[in-house]
Amino acid sequence: MKNVLGILNNIESYLCRFLLAVFVSLLFLQVVVRTFFNFSFSWVEELSVYMFVWFVFFGASYAAKMGAHNRVTFQFKFLPDRAIKYIEAFADLFWICFNVYFVYLALDFIFNRMNRFQSSQTLGFHLSWVYIVLPIAFALMTFRILQVNYKKIILNEDLRDPDSIDLDEVRAELEGNVSQSGDEESK
Amino acid sequence: MGTEIIYILFGGFLLLLFIGAPITVALGVSTMITFLVLDENPIKFVQIAFTSVGSFPLMALPAFILAGALMEASGLSRRLINVAESFAGPFTGGMSAATVFACLFFGAISGSGPATTAAVGMLMIPAMIQRGYSRDFSSAITASSGGLGIVIPPSIPLIIFGIAALGMPAPPAAVAEHGTFQTVSIPKLFIAGFMPAFLIAGSLLVMNYVLSRKRGYKGSSEGWSARHIWCEMYRGFWALMAPLVILGGIYSGFFTPTEAAIVAIFYTLAVGAFIYRELTWQKLFTSLETTTWLTGRVLLIMFTATVFGRLLVENQIPAIIADGMLSVTDNIYVIWTLVILFLLFVGMFMETLATILILVPVMLPVAYSVGIDPIHFGVVMVCTLGIGFQTPPLGENLFIASGISNISIERISVAALPFAFINTVAIFIIAFFPEISLWLPRVLGY
Repeated sequence: MKNVLGILNNIESYLCRFLLAVFVSLLFLQVVVRTFFNFSFSWVEELSVYMFVWFVFFGASYAAKMGAHNRVTFQFKFLPDRAIKYIEAFADLFWICFNVYFVYLALDFIFNRMNRFQSSQTLGFHLSWVYIVLPIAFALMTFRILQVNYKKIILNEDLRDPDSIDLDEVRAELEGNVSQSGDEESK
Repeated sequence: MGTEIIYILFGGFLLLLFIGAPITVALGVSTMITFLVLDENPIKFVQIAFTSVGSFPLMALPAFILAGALMEASGLSRRLINVAESFAGPFTGGMSAATVFACLFFGAISGSGPATTAAVGMLMIPAMIQRGYSRDFSSAITASSGGLGIVIPPSIPLIIFGIAALGMPAPPAAVAEHGTFQTVSIPKLFIAGFMPAFLIAGSLLVMNYVLSRKRGYKGSSEGWSARHIWCEMYRGFWALMAPLVILGGIYSGFFTPTEAAIVAIFYTLAVGAFIYRELTWQKLFTSLETTTWLTGRVLLIMFTATVFGRLLVENQIPAIIADGMLSVTDNIYVIWTLVILFLLFVGMFMETLATILILVPVMLPVAYSVGIDPIHFGVVMVCTLGIGFQTPPLGENLFIASGISNISIERISVAALPFAFINTVAIFIIAFFPEISLWLPRVLGY
């Protein structure tokens, strides 16, 4: 059970890594085939662009989970951390409203307004299968925003800023590698 | 009506930024409200969400981010720094000059200012201090050259500028007045960025020489060690080849930027797994994960900024701004000065990629209407925003450098002032002489 929850909690991350790996490999295949066999698959480009769109919006949801979306925070410099938490939570309310409205718009678009003949040119399936990522990812993002604020305000957890570079980590990495290349020399 | 929209759109945007909403939310919500006020159909949001992101050239962005992350994970980046370090030699200020070169090399594959400062600084700042350079000076030069990373191609900000500018054709009025403009493409921007990047690096080197002389930072007495250089070059051979593969592939027209980045990814995977043997599964997954959230975050802004830009253009707002500007002055040098000062100011407070996405729809039409070439404009914009990394209050490079050298941000900022000054001078030169950016692409037939 715990395992399942763990996977669900990082579902965007798993999905995005998979999508990224696949579309990068597809494009590489295309380059190789074009260079060496002077041939190209007509569907690779379109399919990889669709996978890329999925990757981007699930990635945005993952970024929300990590609290990575950039804010301008200079004006908060002299406020206590506690106050910043509440102000940002208030600002996030706008985000949630936007997302909820956007999910509604996207569902409306997919189910009521899309032309029946709007399908992929090389792959044949209907484009609503691509657009469906929008309501799913934005709903998931809304959940992540709530999750982050719950963690920050109720559980009082400190989310690590993903942009901050941990100097100790960089140092450890460099030293580890330096000793490794030292080994190379001694060989 | 026009002015009312400006108040709602920009007022709402700034207010939301001020209360700490994410940039993408501030853009999206203010645009959505304006849409509702104007009684336009908000279903456009859904279509633009798909079309703004679903483009093949845009895939260069995650591909280059992933390539850069893998190069760090595979130890290519570190070897590049070692090569630069070996060139320090007997010159006055040689060690700090090597730092500038290390940042150039590293930036060429990383594309992130703070990451460049961290990786280069970690090796070079202690090395400089050991050779008798003061702590302030060593930190300042590293923080200042860290920003080079985003200018030197393949540069992620230039990709973002290129994509944003592709959706912004020159307004007909501007074409009637100044003739047709060249089209924007990412390879063209990459080539155009070359000479300006070296000019900025050159300006840093000059200032470094002047200051090192004044402070008496001599080179090592042993002179050049050809053997040492050769050794490092040999060890770094595969790392040195990486930028060659990427840029050579793009400039020869053999690959599109997206394909070049894809090839770079697999090249790095091969080198990291089989030659340097530093790449592990764990590091590979971490690189994929970093690429995920970095891309998701930037491209969500891409989506909202595109709707924002559409709304601006449909309501002729850039034209209003351009008219306002032209009514004050039509001297191109004065206009450039205003643009650069504005960008320097914004760059101090906001993240670079977000700034580009927001400002391109506002400023590029204005640039067109005063006859500025779009490629030239992009290069100046990216170079100017690069300075924001080394100026307080949000200069990430300063924080990193201060963390490495253990001296206060204030002292580094003061020591970094001469470098920020000479960089700004270089940017004015790049802005006032368009040929610096435009000559190379033209000669190469782009």
